[in-house]
Amino acid sequence: MKAAQFEHHEPSTVDEAVSLLESLDEPTILAGGQSLVPMLRFRLARPETVVDINGIDSLDYLREENGFLTLGALARHADVENSATVADRYGSFADAAPLVADPQIRNRGTVVGSVAQADPKGDWGSVLLAHDGAVVAHGPDGERTIPADDFFLLPYDTTLAEDELATALRVPTPEPREGSAYHKLKRKTGDYAMAGVAARLVFDDDGRIADAGIGMTAVDITNARAKEAEAHLEGERPSPELLEEAGELAAEESNPESDEHGDASYKERMVDVLTQRALADAAERAGVVERRVPQ
Amino acid sequence: MSSDHENSADTEYQHAEDGGPQPEKHCGHGRGGMGEEVRRKEDQRFITGRGNYVDDVKKPGMLHCELVRSPHAHARIEEIDGSRAMDMDGVVAVLTAEDLLEYDLATMPTLMDDTQDVLVNDKVKFQSQEVAAVIAEDRYVAKDGAEKVDVTYDVLDPVVDADDALEDDAPLIREDIEDKEDNHIFDWETGDEEATAQAFEEADVTVEEEMFYQRLHPAPIETCGAVGDYDPGKDKLTVHMTSQAPHIHRTLFAQVSGIPEHKIRIVSPDVGGGFGNKVPIYPGYVVAAAASYVLEQPVKWVEERSENIQTTGFARDYDMTGEIAATEDGEILAVRTDVLANHGAYNAAAQPSKFPAGFFNIFTGSYDIDAAYASLSAAYTNTAPGGIAYRCSFRVTEAVYLIERMVKVLADELEVDPTEIRRKNFIQPEQFPYESPTGWNYDSGDYESALDLALEMAEYEEYREEQQRRIENDADKLLGIGISSFTEVVGAGPGKTCDIAGVEMFDSAEIRIHPTGKATVRVGVQTQGQGHETTFAQIVAEELGMDVDDIVVEHGDTDTDPYGLGTYGSRSTPVAGAATAVASRKVRDKAKTIAANELEADEGDIEWDRESGEFHVAGAPDRSITITEIAAGAYMNNPAGEEPGLEAVNYYDPPEMTYPFGSYVVVVEVDRETGEVEFEKFVAVDDCGNRINPMVIEGQIHGGLAQGIGTAMMEHVTYDDNGNVTGGDFMNYLLPTAMEIPEFETGHTVTPSPHHPIGAKGVGESPTVGSPPAIVNAVVDAMAHAGVSHVEMPMTPDVVWEALDEAGLAQQPAANLEFELESGEAADD
Repeated sequence: MKAAQFEHHEPSTVDEAVSLLESLDEPTILAGGQSLVPMLRFRLARPETVVDINGIDSLDYLREENGFLTLGALARHADVENSATVADRYGSFADAAPLVADPQIRNRGTVVGSVAQADPKGDWGSVLLAHDGAVVAHGPDGERTIPADDFFLLPYDTTLAEDELATALRVPTPEPREGSAYHKLKRKTGDYAMAGVAARLVFDDDGRIADAGIGMTAVDITNARAKEAEAHLEGERPSPELLEEAGELAAEESNPESDEHGDASYKERMVDVLTQRALADAAERAGVVERRVPQ
Repeated sequence: MSSDHENSADTEYQHAEDGGPQPEKHCGHGRGGMGEEVRRKEDQRFITGRGNYVDDVKKPGMLHCELVRSPHAHARIEEIDGSRAMDMDGVVAVLTAEDLLEYDLATMPTLMDDTQDVLVNDKVKFQSQEVAAVIAEDRYVAKDGAEKVDVTYDVLDPVVDADDALEDDAPLIREDIEDKEDNHIFDWETGDEEATAQAFEEADVTVEEEMFYQRLHPAPIETCGAVGDYDPGKDKLTVHMTSQAPHIHRTLFAQVSGIPEHKIRIVSPDVGGGFGNKVPIYPGYVVAAAASYVLEQPVKWVEERSENIQTTGFARDYDMTGEIAATEDGEILAVRTDVLANHGAYNAAAQPSKFPAGFFNIFTGSYDIDAAYASLSAAYTNTAPGGIAYRCSFRVTEAVYLIERMVKVLADELEVDPTEIRRKNFIQPEQFPYESPTGWNYDSGDYESALDLALEMAEYEEYREEQQRRIENDADKLLGIGISSFTEVVGAGPGKTCDIAGVEMFDSAEIRIHPTGKATVRVGVQTQGQGHETTFAQIVAEELGMDVDDIVVEHGDTDTDPYGLGTYGSRSTPVAGAATAVASRKVRDKAKTIAANELEADEGDIEWDRESGEFHVAGAPDRSITITEIAAGAYMNNPAGEEPGLEAVNYYDPPEMTYPFGSYVVVVEVDRETGEVEFEKFVAVDDCGNRINPMVIEGQIHGGLAQGIGTAMMEHVTYDDNGNVTGGDFMNYLLPTAMEIPEFETGHTVTPSPHHPIGAKGVGESPTVGSPPAIVNAVVDAMAHAGVSHVEMPMTPDVVWEALDEAGLAQQPAANLEFELESGEAADD
């Protein structure tokens, strides 16, 4: 790799990082380097200064606390992939982690970095949206929490301020009758999603859907929620017809473009298929229904 | 799993060349001879990180070269201003075509006798073409400097598609060729057009299919690179370079540069994969050598990955129409094809000069067909030049794809099992040597035995039944079974018909047995991972009764190795392997004289015993002597009147090519909801004649099958209408990983080549050549019941889903989901 020259800063605390972000001219943050390093290699990114947060040990965690699953900014995809907590209770996270890139990248790349990068083809934004999660950011004025719904603006653009560091993301711990799943269609290991759908379903005591979350990958200018599909599900009992209708609604809500990952019409259709698959898995994992696939 | 089927190891050879080397029966002697699974000698250094690649070459005072490349596909250069770059600390020189013109190096000949710019003098003809070079003290500064070379372009309309390029109003790409008024390069044809047309007219059934063999890139792990190292003291130019053919590259360097050939040394050290990519000469090599000559300092140039994919030799890009004429019971009467070839901005294909379409000539494949005709037109486009033999014998891959796909199309049209069509039309074992309708002489084959074994290994009948069941049950996942019974043509020469830039395609081996009985073998071919250091040593071990560990094989240095044409087109074993066997036998002949002296017997009474690897006196097996003892004799007790020493050299011009073959059976599952394809079973039965090292062969087969899967499923160098490469890096040029590769089941039959000294054929390319049609046939087969006759490569999920949708097979998931409430209350329909 022959990157253009840049100044490398290595803060060891969040405060130090934030003050660097404040004082430096257009700094770029380096966490896992999953997106930044290829851009440096192609010289598509030519930062004057890079703030490397890998030395901030306090950001290296994944834990359940205070009613949230929280991932620090240095939690790697592989940490999620290998977490027993995640495997037991967070189906969508467990599904998504091994589908991100390849093992080498998963060992370096971070979940928070991926969300902050805001690539519409990134997987974690959809999971965060489906879970009604939030991004925790630190700036000169201290900490604030940005709900996922308010986070993504445009491709590679978020509501994070220039001098803010995303330090964590969090999602509520699961309700008693909750299940979630992530389905991703890709051309090969390491490829971005042709389309992806995260779904989360919470059931009430009556077996009806109390809360539904659907996040979509690679089919809009940002990771996007399928709000009409969610509304259609809420208050209903799961049935094949209901899932089919939700799939259709999600597909209608999606807004894909034709590119090397397929025609827009194909991607729309895949949103339909993947939504149904993800909802079916979520319902099953909630322990409310059993799914039988006839031979 | 591996399956054996010794087919004709004891064949009486019917047409060994008169007086030429005769095939011998081989059994191996337990010390690393023929047929033994000797572990690869080279792997120790590769696995422990001690390989020596071009980028590992470091010389005192070495400078670094970065090429300035055009962002446009078609543009006139108005001005190049290197002054900002020259002002930078560490930048030593900025070279342009103008500088190279002084040395007559601004252009270079391609292997197909076209003229390619080393650095563009007038007009850029493809995106990322080489425009200038920055030489600097380190590679980072060189790259920074390249960004500061200011080039003013007058951007022209590009033409990317071969069809469009041949339109009357297409932009003219090659204004540099005198009187050139269009983008047409050449027309080529073979076969009997009239007889073929007649057969089509009279046939009961004809089928036609259009198929595009997409542009691929070999994408070896190591990109191309060179270190030019001119020594003004000795007036000698050494070029360390990633070369599959160092000797012919030396000759070309001499011709282009005017430096006498004995003052040029090409060193091709360890090469990290070639697959045809490292056969041509690229501008970067010339610039590194020229810059070193001018600056009198070593200069290194090493490509980045995207430069490799975007500018160096691509493969395929054949737009083909296939037709078959047959009787209603499936006897093939004729085959016809018309091809439009996209050669890019220069005709820089890498193939024997008399074959502009390479060995596409054998498009009749494994079948005994009376009439055949192929026509082809080639066009210039504003894309990178190429047409190299990517793990294939010069376009035989496209030919095999065409015929194996068409046989499937015919089978579906006639609604018969594709194995039946194949059996009915196979060239039969007794027909060999077989002359094809386009005049090619197949050496040996037994196609049906290979097919039988493959079908048995694949549990073919069971899968056919399962396939039917799934269709009847309207299952979510369809099953498809694809077959390819391919024939390859490998091992070019003979020299009279095959040459590269005029040099006949022989190859060579030199064997020196040292006084202590150890041997150094040097060959004219150049390994890029094929395992020559092991397999060639095994040939010598077999022929001389030596231990394979006592033999070292060297290659890749033109100062020390005998001249050869290099490694590509699966030619190393057929040609240099033959030279190694013949040279060994020359040593053995001399050794016999020494043996007689040592054993105090008459030379006529000395016998060579292949089983024990020793000489002994006839009728007295106890009176024996090994090559180690003989070597001592040759140097320390040489018979009076005999020339001392024990060595031999052979330059081998093959009488014919060899024709390895095989049958592959692929079973896939096609997801009707998404179009995803999964491999359920993958069986490869290969016949490469006598086998030198079965483990090396199996490794070759596995690697080639992976590349075949890449070809069929995901690889494609794509361009947009402006000539921008959109598939020019590993984010967009998709290579399969271990996750995409299924478990392979390999098997083999053995039908020796009758004209090869050890009865061997080439094998390295068979899997890349043979597997893509089997995979496409399988995917098509899954949908054939609904009328699908073709799916274009690469078969990404969206492409397959399109075919499903058009055939009415695409499906929604919920239709097949059933729910049961926890309480047991049914909620399904």
